[in-house]
This record gives sequence, C-alpha cells and structure tokens, in this order.
Amino acid sequence: MVSKQLVLTNAQGFHMRPASVFSGAMSKYSCDVTIRFNGNDYNAKSLLNIIAACIKCGSELEVICNGADENEALAEAVELIESGLGE
Amino acid sequence: MLYGTAASEGIGIGRVMLVEEHSLEYTPKTVTDIEAESQRFKNAVALFCDNTKAQAENLRTAAGDKEAEILEGHIQMIKDPYLSGEIEKLINEGQCAESALEHMCDMFIAMFSSTDDELTRQRATDVKDIKIGVLSILLGKNEVKISTAPKGTVIVAKELTPSMTAGINKDNIVGIITETGGTTSHSAILARALEIPAVLSVNGITGKLAAGEQVIVDGSKGEIIVSPDDSELQTYTQKRRSFLEERRELENYRNKPTVSASGENYELFCNIGKPDDALKTVSADGEGVGLFRTEFLFMERTSVPTEDEQFEAYKKAALILKNKPLIIRTLDIGGDKDLPYLGLEKEENPFMGFRAIRYCLKKRDLFKTQLRAILRASAFGKISIMFPLVTTVDELREGKQLVEEVKSELMKNNTAFNKDIKVGVMIETPSAAVIADILAKEADFFSIGTNDLTGYTMACDRGNSNVSYLYSPLQPGVLRLIKNIIESGRKNNIPVGMCGEAAANEMMIPLLISFGLTEFSVSAPSVLKVRKAISKWSKEETDKIAEKVMQFSTQAEIENYLKTVI
Repeated sequence: MVSKQLVLTNAQGFHMRPASVFSGAMSKYSCDVTIRFNGNDYNAKSLLNIIAACIKCGSELEVICNGADENEALAEAVELIESGLGE
Repeated sequence: MLYGTAASEGIGIGRVMLVEEHSLEYTPKTVTDIEAESQRFKNAVALFCDNTKAQAENLRTAAGDKEAEILEGHIQMIKDPYLSGEIEKLINEGQCAESALEHMCDMFIAMFSSTDDELTRQRATDVKDIKIGVLSILLGKNEVKISTAPKGTVIVAKELTPSMTAGINKDNIVGIITETGGTTSHSAILARALEIPAVLSVNGITGKLAAGEQVIVDGSKGEIIVSPDDSELQTYTQKRRSFLEERRELENYRNKPTVSASGENYELFCNIGKPDDALKTVSADGEGVGLFRTEFLFMERTSVPTEDEQFEAYKKAALILKNKPLIIRTLDIGGDKDLPYLGLEKEENPFMGFRAIRYCLKKRDLFKTQLRAILRASAFGKISIMFPLVTTVDELREGKQLVEEVKSELMKNNTAFNKDIKVGVMIETPSAAVIADILAKEADFFSIGTNDLTGYTMACDRGNSNVSYLYSPLQPGVLRLIKNIIESGRKNNIPVGMCGEAAANEMMIPLLISFGLTEFSVSAPSVLKVRKAISKWSKEETDKIAEKVMQFSTQAEIENYLKTVI
C-alpha cells in the first residue's frame, strides 16, 4: 500500500469535470484507489463518490493505492491533483 | 399578472404546452432469472447512453459545448463503476432492475442534497434526471417529447430537467415557465444559452394555465401575462423587437476593451455578493470586480464565520478571476443589516448609527480576522481592500494601522500575502465626499458608492414614496460632490471608480467620463451596455456636456438637457 497527502488547488474544488477526469484516470488501474478526506474514505474510481465527498479548493486529502500497480496509480494521481486536474 | 424568478432575459409570446411527467410507478418484484435481469439493466443503460449522446450533440449545435457537457456528464455518471457495481449487487440479491436503480440513485440524491455546497446540490438534479431517464426505458415509457412542439410554444412544467431542455428546438420554443428552479439551475443556464426567455419558480403555475392558452413571458422582469388583450400584445411585441435588436447590437462589444470614442481606456468591473458570482463576472465579460460585498458570509448563520471560512471564500473568488482585480469591501453591517448573533442594540437612527467601519474599528478581533483572511487570500490574486462608510481621515488611518498590524503578524508566521496590497475608501458619505482632498493623500484608491451617497446627501429614503422624488444622482448637490471626489482623486494620482447604480446610468456616463472617473463597476448584465455607452463619447464632447450640466440649477433641468444629448 502506498499513499500521499495532497492539497487540492483547482478553484472549483472536486466538481463534475475534475472529478470525472480523476475517476476516469484511476479506473485504468487494477489496484484499489481511495481518497481519504475529513476522516472518510471515498472510492476514487467512482465519479459520484468523489462528488459526494464535496472536497473544496484548498482542502487536504490523502490518496491511498493498494494493489499490483499501486505505484503507477499513485504517481498519476499526484500529478493530476498537483497540475490542477486539467482546469 | 403572475410573478416568478427572472431567469433568462427577453420577451416570449406564445401558446402554452403543459409538459407533464408521466407516471414512473411500478410494483417491485423479486427476480428469479438474475442473468436476464442484469442484461435488461445493461441494455437500458446502453440505450440511455445512446439517447443522451444524441441529445448532447443536438444541444452542442443549438447552445454550445458547455451545455452539451452537462448531458455528457450524465453518461459518465451512469457509467460510474461503483454505481453499476452496487446496482448489479442488488440485482444479484434478487431485486428488480427498477428498484435497484432507484435505491442507488436516491442514495446519491440524498447525499448530494444534504451538502452545504450549491454546486454539489445541483448534481442531485442530474442524478434525478438519470434515474427518470433509465426508469422510463426500463418501464417502456417514452420520455416527454418537447422536440415536436409547434412554432410559438411556451413550455410550462413543474421542473425542467436537462434532458427535456435538450429536446428544445429554439426556433419553436419562445418561452419557458416552471414551478421550481432558480437563476443558477441547469434549466436557467440552458435557457440563457439558448436565448429563450424564462420565468422560473412560479408557484402552482402548472395548475393555473391550460394547454393552448396564450401567454406573455417577460424573462427580464420575471412576469407572466395570461390571455393578454390587444394593447398588451402590441406593447410586448414592440418590447420584444427592441430587446432582440439591442441584444444583437450589444454582442459586438463582447471581448473588446472598454474605450471611449477619443481613445481613452476605462476599467469595467462587476459588483458581486458571493464567490460564485465571480463566474458571472467572467461570463458577462467583466474585467474585474469593483465591489465584493462580504456580508453574505455573515448572513443566515448563528455565529461569526472563522478566518478559514472567509479565506476560502475570498480565495475562491480570486482564483476564478485569475489575475483580474478584485476589490473586497470589509464588513458593512449594522444600519438595516442586522445579525442577531452580533447582539447589536436597536437604534433610533440605524443609518446614522453604529455600523460598517465604525462597528469594525470597535470590534477589533472580528475586523482583524476579516483582514487576515483577505490578506492571506491576496497571495492568490489581485486583491484590494476597501473600507465602507468612512467619514473622517482618522477612520482610514486606524483601519490602515490594523492592516499593518495584521501584515506583521502574518510575516512573523511566514504566511504568504501581497505586501503591496492597496487600501481604498468607499466614498458614500457627504463628509468623505467633501474631504476627498484630505482622504486622497492617504488612500490608494476611491470607489464612489452612489446609492448611499445620494441618500445621505439628499437626506431621503428612496423607499419612502413621499420623499423618493428627491433621490437622484443627477441632483446638483450630488453631482457637485461626485465631481469633487473624482477631481480630488485625480489631483493626487489615485484611481477613482464608482460601484453604485449610477455607474450604469446612461445619463451619468458622459459626466463621469468628463470628471475623470477611471473605473465603472456595474451588475453583470449591464457590462456590455455600459461598454457600448462609453464607446459613444469623446472626451471633448463630454466636457462640453458636463460644463453645461454644472450650470443648471435643478435636477429637472439637468435631466431634460441630458435626455436631448444621449
């Protein structure tokens, strides 16, 4: 299992488009991908779960990957979030 | 006349088509052939995706990419592996596809609706739309077809779902009326993108109108006239024509700089009340925000917002505006704006009482918290600070002193902020207007708040119909003050803007240009109108007009003269 603490920087927070970009990218991997936010875990391959988490700009969150391709998955997750999720 | 929320500008005259949602009731049953049921669900989803894709393409040609994306989002949502996985699980447990789908969709609708975030709450409408769409397919019911509505149709519905809106042929639909939905709902956004006049949130409207009845939809005012008579029809046909002509013409001013006929450049900003309004500023082609009222953060709650809450809100607006200027006005509370949790005493004369900067300078903790939040946000955009209701230079000095204190505290903590942040004064009291020469030496900028300035100068409440005739920025007394404020700013080389309603007043614009105003801050829908109005004038022409205007003795003379020249 690998994980990293990150800060969400895109202005709109994890809304429709960023959430869809992120969940789409994570779905390519076979490992489990989880977003831990405010003490709750959310399935990061699920667009609806990410939206329900209601993560706003400036929030701290943790991405946790667990499975065969966990390193690759985490690397892409970090890059996506740090680059502002295509905003 | 019936009233609702003005959600999409323009006038529509046509006949009612009642869009009733067909019943999607069913009796849940236990499934025995699980594989067949699972396949039935997959087929329904596939068909839903095909339909939605086609609707999205239609919408792309009719309205644009942004609008089509809303529907494409529905495809992504229904394809969510978690959602389909959970539905499959329920089907495997013997539930029928309908109830499995409904169970999961309702769960997300409840989750989204319970958040405190408006954008997330709006997503609940999308999930509802998906549920209705897939259920209709599973139950073999066709979705309501708006696409076949004849020319001159006014759609009347309880709620307009995005997929319904997608079926709209904008050549045939002339108006939209619904019982629910506000100005930021999908329906409103789509109606505006399609340029169809819309009045939303009209109580019980589906029960009040009959199919085929003639109605006038005034989406600019939020009014509906049922069975209009000949003279009403004539008036509104004329109104409709001039509205359409103006709209066409104003579009020529989009994405252009704000410049006068003689080539001087002006800043054209918007007034906002919430961080999300910054989006409206951007889409209205505003060049920045000249007044961000911060009271909203303090309203509808039971305690003072924390520094972090305020910081998030200011930062959000700054990030949306990218590097466009953002002037944040510090708390303007008291007067008519009371907050029970602050425990303000009832006053005999609240407009002359303990409010705005006076209150903030006494409640230093509250004020410094706000200043700290603004300063922290200044690391993310071009933010300035503005103090409301200043009457003396002492207030400005004290306020600036507190800004400096907060700055050194932040510096000690190594917190990022803009060290050169500008601190300006909102000039809205006669005293500030008269001592503008003194204030200009110590303020970084002025912004004239004409609403209060006019009220205080004329000593009149515009809400009181016995005295409201006195309320006009074209009163010689008010104009002299405005001229003095702008000239004092100019002499001291500080920019002077205006964030009151007078900034969008076509009679005021030539005078403001002549006096030397550098920034106009108006409501988002006025941006293009004001840009057009400014483009008409050369500096020389406005100087002649202003010279003449300043010689008249009464407001009536001034107004009559200005009417002949604009």
